[in-house]
Amino acid sequence: MAPLLMFLALIQGSQLSAQELVTASGKVTGKDDGMSIPGVSVKVKGATTATSTDPDGKFSFKVPTGAILVFSSLGYGSTERPAAAGMNIVLVATTSELQEVTVVGATIKKGDLTGSVSSVGEKVIKEMPVTNINQAIQGRVAGVLVQSNDPRPGGAVSIKVRGNNSIQYGSNPIYVVDGLVIEEALNTINPDDISSIDILKDASATAIYGSRGANGVVLITTKRAKNGDGKIEYNGWYGVQSFNKNIPYLNAQQIADLRIDAYANKYMDDNPTADRQTYINSLLGTNSVAFSQDELGVYRSGQSYNWLDEITRTAIQQNHTATFSKGGPDGAVYVSFNYTDQMGLLKTSNYKRYGGQINLDQKIKPWLKIGTNTNFSRTEESYIDGGVFGIAANANPLLPINDQITYLSWKGIQSTDLYNPIRSLNIDGKGNLNRLLTNNYVVATLIPGLNVRSSIALDVRNQNYYNYIPKSLGQSLRNSTNGSATQKKESWVNWQWDNSISYDKTIGKNSFSGILSFGLSQNNYNYNQVNASGFATDDFSYKYLGGAYLKDQFQLSSDFVTNSLISYVARFNYSYDNKYFATLTGRYDGSSKFGNGNKWGLFPSLSLAWNVANEDFFKNIKAINVLKIRAGYGIAGNQKIDDFAYRSLYRPVFTNGSVTYVSDGRLGNPNLVWEKQKQLNLGLDIAILNNRLTFNADYFLIHNNDLLMRRTLSTTSGFNNTIANVGSLLNQGFDFNINGVILNGKDLKWNMGANISAYKSKITKLYGNVDAIYNYGGFTGVEIQREGNFFLNQPLNSIYTYKFEKIAQQSDMVRVQGIDYGGRTIRPGDIVPVDVNGDKKIDDADRIVVGKKDPKFYGGFFTDVTYKNLTLNAVFNYSYGGKAISGLYEGLLNGTGEYSGHEDELNRWTPANTESNIPRAYTGSGRYSVGETDYAVQNSSYLRMSALTLAYNFTQDFMKKAKLSNLRVYVTGRNLLTVTKYKGYDPEGGDGYPTSKMFVFGINIGL
Amino acid sequence: MKRKYSLIMLALLVILSGSCKKFIIEEPQTALTEEQVFKSLDNIEPLVLGLYTSWRNTKKDRGGFVFTLGTDEAQQGAYQVRTDDRQAGLDRYNGFLTASNTALAEQWNSRWPVISAAAKVIYALSLNTEDPERKNRILGDASFIRAALNFEMSQYWGEIPLIDQAKFAEYGTKRQPLTLVYSNIVSDLENAVKYLPASQTDKRKATRGVALALLGKVYMYAPVSSGVRDFVKARDTFKQIVDAGTYQLVDNYADLWNPAKPNSSESIYEFQFNNVYPDNNQTQWQMGSRSLAEIDQYAYFGGYDLMVPTQYCYKDATAGGLWEAGDVRKSESIRYDFTYKGNIPVLNPAFGGDELDPHVKKYEDIRTDGSLSFWLSGKNIFYLRYSDVLLCYAEALNETGATAQAVDLVNTTVRRRAWNNNLPDDKKWSAAMSQQDFRTAIMDERMRELCFEGWRRMDLIRTGKLVDLVKTRNKWTKESGSVQPFHNRYPIPLQEIKQNDDISEADQNPGYSNN
Repeated sequence: MAPLLMFLALIQGSQLSAQELVTASGKVTGKDDGMSIPGVSVKVKGATTATSTDPDGKFSFKVPTGAILVFSSLGYGSTERPAAAGMNIVLVATTSELQEVTVVGATIKKGDLTGSVSSVGEKVIKEMPVTNINQAIQGRVAGVLVQSNDPRPGGAVSIKVRGNNSIQYGSNPIYVVDGLVIEEALNTINPDDISSIDILKDASATAIYGSRGANGVVLITTKRAKNGDGKIEYNGWYGVQSFNKNIPYLNAQQIADLRIDAYANKYMDDNPTADRQTYINSLLGTNSVAFSQDELGVYRSGQSYNWLDEITRTAIQQNHTATFSKGGPDGAVYVSFNYTDQMGLLKTSNYKRYGGQINLDQKIKPWLKIGTNTNFSRTEESYIDGGVFGIAANANPLLPINDQITYLSWKGIQSTDLYNPIRSLNIDGKGNLNRLLTNNYVVATLIPGLNVRSSIALDVRNQNYYNYIPKSLGQSLRNSTNGSATQKKESWVNWQWDNSISYDKTIGKNSFSGILSFGLSQNNYNYNQVNASGFATDDFSYKYLGGAYLKDQFQLSSDFVTNSLISYVARFNYSYDNKYFATLTGRYDGSSKFGNGNKWGLFPSLSLAWNVANEDFFKNIKAINVLKIRAGYGIAGNQKIDDFAYRSLYRPVFTNGSVTYVSDGRLGNPNLVWEKQKQLNLGLDIAILNNRLTFNADYFLIHNNDLLMRRTLSTTSGFNNTIANVGSLLNQGFDFNINGVILNGKDLKWNMGANISAYKSKITKLYGNVDAIYNYGGFTGVEIQREGNFFLNQPLNSIYTYKFEKIAQQSDMVRVQGIDYGGRTIRPGDIVPVDVNGDKKIDDADRIVVGKKDPKFYGGFFTDVTYKNLTLNAVFNYSYGGKAISGLYEGLLNGTGEYSGHEDELNRWTPANTESNIPRAYTGSGRYSVGETDYAVQNSSYLRMSALTLAYNFTQDFMKKAKLSNLRVYVTGRNLLTVTKYKGYDPEGGDGYPTSKMFVFGINIGL
Repeated sequence: MKRKYSLIMLALLVILSGSCKKFIIEEPQTALTEEQVFKSLDNIEPLVLGLYTSWRNTKKDRGGFVFTLGTDEAQQGAYQVRTDDRQAGLDRYNGFLTASNTALAEQWNSRWPVISAAAKVIYALSLNTEDPERKNRILGDASFIRAALNFEMSQYWGEIPLIDQAKFAEYGTKRQPLTLVYSNIVSDLENAVKYLPASQTDKRKATRGVALALLGKVYMYAPVSSGVRDFVKARDTFKQIVDAGTYQLVDNYADLWNPAKPNSSESIYEFQFNNVYPDNNQTQWQMGSRSLAEIDQYAYFGGYDLMVPTQYCYKDATAGGLWEAGDVRKSESIRYDFTYKGNIPVLNPAFGGDELDPHVKKYEDIRTDGSLSFWLSGKNIFYLRYSDVLLCYAEALNETGATAQAVDLVNTTVRRRAWNNNLPDDKKWSAAMSQQDFRTAIMDERMRELCFEGWRRMDLIRTGKLVDLVKTRNKWTKESGSVQPFHNRYPIPLQEIKQNDDISEADQNPGYSNN
């Protein structure tokens, strides 16, 4: 850090030493969005010398030494600075539209969002060719972990703010799009329409969302036309996507050798005096117990078959957005159209989105304004059956590619679970979604400063899902369906009605503002689904259910669910002389999800800030431009549980010719209450060296009480599970962010930024006297899982299993024979677990927490280098210190050769290779498998270059000639590089699919 | 002007915010709450029907045969044993048969919600003031269901929690002494006998006959330490059934396994299934031969070898097995020939090796042949048949000193039918048979008559023969050699110990580790 500061000071010094007439130059940008501002007047104070900024916000002119420049522009506060070269002027908007952000039911000034807020502006969003807003902010914001774990087109991206604060329900943040709360299907929003994303991280910031802000709030503000000439813009990109890397699988010959070794090891264990080679010869003979004759044929031929290649492809993606906007003194209009087309990496999968945005506002009377932010979209998808990838990736390399066989086989034994993936491509899966998101408001200004506002917002979604499994497929044969069709139609109507009164007043140095608000919201959901079987022909796919003849296999289902919320909010801001700030918020929410007497929750918060740099005693300290200290404390809530959790429910089930009433297995809990997060946040913002270096640091301490989760019950209670307030969690950590302008020359500019975040959680209380809540699952639903258990005084995301001690050697045999391994036998080359309590018996008491899945710290960094018109931008994100279970890798170390294997098996333990850390080959059961101890628990640390972009901005001269306001072309490579030790597909994305990389060419044109 | 509009708006807001309390009351639109269900007989009745279904569902699929594995009549197929350690523990009686055995935990877990709901019904009925006759009939149903399941649980696990709403404060969910458990079972069954009708048109529902038959069995099967075992009471109860003449053996033993002839005169209670999901039972998927499944998924005796007969159970007496010459039950119970439509299946050497050894035949469902996967097999499954009552009656007679009468009963009923109603003299049991010889003979006779029908483990436990017979007849038990007397009970599942505040590690059945 020190050399960097010295370097900056050096540049600073050289600029100040100029004499006589000098060139003053630089760029003016807006504070909120980081966009350049054209047409800003730049005057020399006390003189007539003046210029204005070009369409890029740049200026350059000669001024006397020591001149003070005055920057002013309509809608922005003016600012004065000593003239210099390479100035970086940031103007703060004054007109309310530019500075306001619509929260639920009211608009407030962005500056009033005290507390911990991270913002990503339009400029950053634009830099990344993405179709999903979460991807746009990945690695950009401290304290926010964005993970893409589904490479399928249109796949979801998960986002966590400050680790986990809820343990099961509502652990994702809510999204507020222009004031409308939406919780799902974020994919329908086009990043090109977004002007800013603000992530509210602490209770004082999320307080206005009290009922739902416990896990953070992502505020999305769509674009509004700027005052001035009408604008036409086009953004488009075209990308080529392919899978990044695959697991190094064993090929056919390696699998066969492994299997021979496994069988021979087993045989020799059982028949210690037999001849190994004789047995191996029998395995390769005509009556082999280990191979089918076809497999032996392939083995001898030296061939190996890759089934995955049959179902994957290189995929093309493209995205086009055209926008039209114009703003005036009385109103503004912004209209956009968008088309996205993503081919899937798996054959037949596809995702398309057509959408548009209309943002209007208009003064009807001098005191009355109306407006709308309306988005409509349609997505169309083709699905591939979920199991296809896994089956193809793990297919037997000894099995020749064949699209005629129904099931895949190992050892010539067909498995009815392994549907031929090539044939599964014939499953016809389609989906579509129509969505209208609209928020409409009317606001009246009664006296200056007093506004009454009412808004109606709607989120209407209709989603259809269709599927048809042709008759000849294994899926159909196994279940005797003779072709089966599914149609599912879902509908959501969520509405929100918000009303508020706000008042602003400034008296001398005192500024007051206050909001009172009242809101109702209701979510309505219904669906119906038909499954029909028995089709005369596959030709009609899922489209003609009336033709299905297996009438007794028809299945109908439907449901209707409504839940509702009432909120009262009062918020009061006070500031003195731009030095001292205070915000007090109280929110009182009622939710239909809780039983009588428990419906209401109160969520207060207070935040304070001190802008030290504005103090008189600080005026002389020129090196520090901003020094702000923040503190906030508040309570946020969570109610995102299943509906009617406070009741035990019984539903009619038709069976054997009549209706019966059957419990759904969940015990109703009338004592359920709101989950509450008590959050403390301390923050510091510093900017130095003419704002060239900015730091933001936040510390947080969150007490999560009455955590909501569905826990299993002893079935002697009559039920399997109940939703309950099960305990408390302490979560603390910090977010740290730094941005710096390292070089700011005329031709060469270099910006860098980095963020790092960390959190630590601890379960401080569990219900009753229990010290653990176990997560039961597995095939039978009764096995304690390694993940998802909660232990008192342990971190939340723990891994709980037996501890791996070593790979057994001959010298260990005497010792292990004295220990009861619960029916297992350990021989040299096998896994030995640790007898934790030393009672010579490996049982439940020897299972321990062996690690935690959360990273020690995580974050991202970026670098922007601009030379003349060329910009090179790279974005990285990283995570360090987390552990992960890779079920995929564990499965591939099974050591049997009767299932696909990992190349690590080549180094397996053998009597000649006793130093190996890979267990020996073995078939059959009776020893510890790789997944039974923490042997293969993975280090999930990684460093990823998520984007590398080279962009060219055309020169002003060119654009003047071409009559354009803006022309930029770029190429981006996404996910080009990942450094990790993780053995599965991806430490971030998990083991479902490998990650993908993409090369994109894009263009931005402004007219 | 603008102030006026705004004031109207303000006033509206104030009014609305006051009247919104109701806005956040949402009731389920597609489910009944527990209060609603237990309030009226109209709702309780379908709920009880649902309990019959849940009870039936415990007899489905793999889970339905977990208790029959590890006996002297049946064991797992070799391929299953090789690929699933924990399940193999059910036959091997080794370190995998412990508290964490998932196959057993699944059985434990699936029964309690049924018992608990039956208990709630019984309690709700005590508060109900509707039609007393209808109320009592439902009480009969609920009492029977609770008794049948408590009996099954206690036979396998010993002391069990007693679920009784009225005594919840006293009983909680801790394990209760056998005396209390069995006296509750008896009193539930007495209620069932009292209130259930003699016959039901809805075959899912229990009758007085099945309640009586089960009561007789309880007197015979209850552990001595429960104080309920009483062969006199058993004898009298069975006599009552026999004398009433409600049930008769069907003439042809084969008819019992003919899906076209369900709910025969011999059937006291059978679980009702059909070939349509979810009312199929998947049983053939577990019983059939993998070699057949390889040839054709719709071959009606294909399957995946979960449970196969032991050698003792499929071999002739002359070869050290069970069967006497001319017994028609042998070929109806066990499949020896695997020729399918002229195809003789071959044994894939990579299989377990016993895929073409004799298989269970009783659950084959010919209706699926060629058109449906054997997964959809759905013949009814017997709970109690009259021949079982006759054999139990004979046994009770023998135990109460009337051995000759017992011999005669067996000869003239069950064995007579087994030789096509013409029992050769050399197959007749001698009237001079000793009481002890009868005890041995009846155990084999029960296997011949009732093999794979779910009573064998209880028979072995009550006669104290589990260890001796299983150790010699079950291939896997013999191989591991680790079966011990404590295996007469199953371990309390680990998750029950962890989640039930009233059951701790110290409450585990003796001999088992909490692993």
